[in-house]
Amino acid sequence: MELFLQLIVTGIMLGSIFALVSLGWVLIYKCSGVLNLAMGELTMIGGYVCLAFYERFITIMPINYAFVLALIGTMVIGLILGLLTERVFLRKMIGEPVLAVIMVTVGLSFFFKGMVFMFWDTDTQIFLPRVFSIEPIVVGGIAVGAVYVWSFIAAMILMVVFVCFFKYTRWGLSMQACADDEMAALSLGVSAKFVYALAWAIAFMAAGVGGTLLGNINGLNYSVSGLGLLVLPVVVLGGLNSVPGAIVGGITIGILQNMAGGYLSAYFPGDIKEVAPFIFMVIFLLFKPYGLWGWERIERV
Amino acid sequence: MSYLPCGTYFESYADDQKWWRTNFIKGKMLVMIILLAAAPYLVDSQWMSVFYTINYYILAALGVQLLIGYCGQITLGHAAFVAVGGYTSAMMVLFIPWPEFMVDAGLVYPISIVCAGFAAALWSVLFGLPSARVKGFYLIMTTMAAQWITVPLVITQYVSQIGGRGQSFSLPPGLIKIGPWTIDSDEKIYYFSIILVLLCFIVMGNLLRSKVGRAWIAIRDNDIAAETMGVNIVGYKLLAFFVAGFFAGIAGAFWISALFFVSPEHYEWFYSLLWVGIILIGGVGSIQGIVFGSVFVVMVFKLLEMSVLGLSDILMTSYPELGWVTTKLIFFKESAFGLAIIFFLIYEPNGLSYRYWQLKNYFNLWPFSYTGK
Repeated sequence: MELFLQLIVTGIMLGSIFALVSLGWVLIYKCSGVLNLAMGELTMIGGYVCLAFYERFITIMPINYAFVLALIGTMVIGLILGLLTERVFLRKMIGEPVLAVIMVTVGLSFFFKGMVFMFWDTDTQIFLPRVFSIEPIVVGGIAVGAVYVWSFIAAMILMVVFVCFFKYTRWGLSMQACADDEMAALSLGVSAKFVYALAWAIAFMAAGVGGTLLGNINGLNYSVSGLGLLVLPVVVLGGLNSVPGAIVGGITIGILQNMAGGYLSAYFPGDIKEVAPFIFMVIFLLFKPYGLWGWERIERV
Repeated sequence: MSYLPCGTYFESYADDQKWWRTNFIKGKMLVMIILLAAAPYLVDSQWMSVFYTINYYILAALGVQLLIGYCGQITLGHAAFVAVGGYTSAMMVLFIPWPEFMVDAGLVYPISIVCAGFAAALWSVLFGLPSARVKGFYLIMTTMAAQWITVPLVITQYVSQIGGRGQSFSLPPGLIKIGPWTIDSDEKIYYFSIILVLLCFIVMGNLLRSKVGRAWIAIRDNDIAAETMGVNIVGYKLLAFFVAGFFAGIAGAFWISALFFVSPEHYEWFYSLLWVGIILIGGVGSIQGIVFGSVFVVMVFKLLEMSVLGLSDILMTSYPELGWVTTKLIFFKESAFGLAIIFFLIYEPNGLSYRYWQLKNYFNLWPFSYTGK
């Protein structure tokens, strides 16, 4: 029972990171209709950029300030990279067939992967000195690593910030309008290009923070991009164009992954933990193809 | 189909759908076959491996082209089916105690190719089943799941452990025999691959100009309209997955004869994406497109590799302290390939086969080509 509770709690905390990254994915899809397969690489870039900042800052200030400043720096870089990526690659693909756009994101993922390894090599790198203490936090018999707790808090804060941004700011409202009906939004003076750029920038920022947190848990290497790719089961579960779906889906996939790691790995050799979400996704697709809250598309000839 | 030359026209549908519509096309094809057969004597032997790599990519991309280009079912997990084919063939050759006369007659490997085709086809149909209910992005997800379930889980963790050899099965030389020929040199691998490619092209071409192909194209263009016209959508979609899986299985079974071993890292997700990239570069919905795309991709890889090797040689000899640059160049290769795909899609969205089509039309209609829109 204790193991069960512990797996659930850790799963929720891990899942909140997936939820954060999926939020960025869903935004891109909602606003511009691009199915982004480069999300894993965006996550990885964020982690490495943050590590680079952290290593600079740690020499001149205490750990806590250095990490927070590095996170902010990552978000700034993410903003710039997101705007650039949209402007250079994706804007030219507006109106092209879906498959071509998907393959452009695949090309982006090759490009980013190569670039990251060119700068930072393929060896596993960790944040040194450790940002979070190794001592687990024990509440009522359940021990949870400090890194998980802080990741959960950071992810939750960012998610609240993003959701408030959509609900209450002018830019957020223009994004919502564009996602709802692009034609109507255009005729009311919303700039679609600006909205696309903003969506990519936010996705880069969210993925960057997600990558940093994942890198703090396991160390940074290519497997971070594999974890970033878990956004795909998450969005399938929640529905492609649903922000609450992304959050619920992320937490569910986090729990599922931890459960599979805790209970099934004794029976299956290898990384059942990584494959379990995808198996779940295939079965889920057969029964509920549009996810929990996705829009069902009705087609006419 | 390009325009016919000036003054040539047909009066029946059968004439219009012929393999070789004019004598010129027939002559062109014969010249091509002669060139392909003579290739080992015309070029340096180091290019043989490049040629059969191109042929392997053609075989593997054939199924992807069928699914994406002709049936509209996007697949991003084709390497899984190629892997199933490769492993089936390798395991049949290695582990089944074949009777002596069959080994001597060289029947084992050909039989294993056919079985590999069927195994991969059934595996592909299994993951094609969701296509009955979902399409578009959701189908991409299921085919991606096929990749993640097949290669890292089933093959790495279970299949590779059979026989206690660990990660890879190696095939001792001389084991792969087709009839009286033992496949042991680059030239033989090349001829074998060319024959397989030609056979598969004939099968694919004939399928596409028959009832089955027309049904697939109808499903690609508009599946709901196709259903109202009386096309059995689910049946034909699954048939498309079956045939595509069969081609993938043949590709996998061929590739073990070239590598002499089989291991999971030859079937990573990268290759699934690469084959989709090939058909996009070559042109979606065009058989020649597969050839153009494969040649382009393999040549780009080869040239990048040669330039990287050349550069690192120069660096090593004249600037030894810059040795770290060579390790970076490997990753630069991958980045450059990603950029090549992106810019191809942005600036040449119709693929190379469209340019070929334009070129052909220019000569066919010369000197009276219609130069309007």
